Amino acid sequence: MPSLIDIRRRVRSVRNTQQITKAMKMISAAKLRKAQDRALASRPYAAMLDRILANVAEAASRSGGAEHPLLAIRAEQRVLAIVVTADKGLAGGFNSNLLKLAQRFLNEHRAKELSLEVIGRKARDYFRRRAYTVSGEHLDLFRNVRYEDAERIAETVIERFSNGQVDSVYLFVNEFKSVVAPNPVGVRILPIEVPKSSSPADYIYEEPPEEMLGNLLPRYVKMRIYRALLESAAAELAARMTAMDAATSNASDMIDKLTLYMNRVRQASITREIIEIVSGAAALD
Amino acid sequence: MADLLQVEIATPERLVASASADSAQIPGKEGYMGILPGHAALLSELGDGELSFTLSGATERFKVSGGYVEIRDNRVRVLADKVT
Repeated sequence: MPSLIDIRRRVRSVRNTQQITKAMKMISAAKLRKAQDRALASRPYAAMLDRILANVAEAASRSGGAEHPLLAIRAEQRVLAIVVTADKGLAGGFNSNLLKLAQRFLNEHRAKELSLEVIGRKARDYFRRRAYTVSGEHLDLFRNVRYEDAERIAETVIERFSNGQVDSVYLFVNEFKSVVAPNPVGVRILPIEVPKSSSPADYIYEEPPEEMLGNLLPRYVKMRIYRALLESAAAELAARMTAMDAATSNASDMIDKLTLYMNRVRQASITREIIEIVSGAAALD
Repeated sequence: MADLLQVEIATPERLVASASADSAQIPGKEGYMGILPGHAALLSELGDGELSFTLSGATERFKVSGGYVEIRDNRVRVLADKVT
């Protein structure tokens, strides 16, 4: 039977852990609000860009000039996957679920020439241990997601796509669907699938639409990646908050159980002492 | 008095401004454009320069560089790469 002191020590250690998980939960919650605001703030631009792109692409195809390197569909020989995870763990299944999804994709495309662009420390560590060609690593982006970072990543990807080093580009990222659970998804971002215009209109074009299209498409890719980073940042914090909340309540349960056990042990030892005293006194009589 | 323009200026990072105006000057790639309510639908690239819009005499100015502008149904939507 463990001694009282041992149990008391365990309770104390669980309580300390609980304090840490509680603090992490609260920090994540505070940061989550900010991350959510930022993700929301980029929405107007993204929505406008979608609409403009749809209209311009339509106008360009009407005048027969909707050809652009970023729209070129080639046979998929070489595939680039961009994998976005967090830099840190302790966020439930956030990283592992995404990596599982990416790994499944890589297994399916085993026959092709694969390369990877990893964003986040967890993805880097994962693929470093396995024999994959990692063409680029991007770490420490999530503390403060900046458009320039997304731009830089997008530019290298666009370049590799347009000079034929890769035939398609896929993006794996945790979408921020709700606070409860992140939603890992994989989507093809290159060649670009132009969104359909929901409300076509007869615009006056100051510049020829083909020319505008050429400038719009890279911007579209940058925005896709930027939004992926923002979503991933928010989803990570939400996942950590949920995971730490669960850890905190698990710790409470454990403390309750240990306290109960401790009381039982104490009572048993008191009972034993009384028996000893009584039987000792009886022996004297 | 005709309708007002609804001006929205956004960058990738945030919505910079959203306001009503009775006229706007926009630096297009090929030179400045003056926009009044009832303007035809238009799409253009944005040049570098000062974007301003006026509501009953009060003018707001922004320095913008690069991007797009869409005008449609009295809504002026500006997608700028940078706004200062």
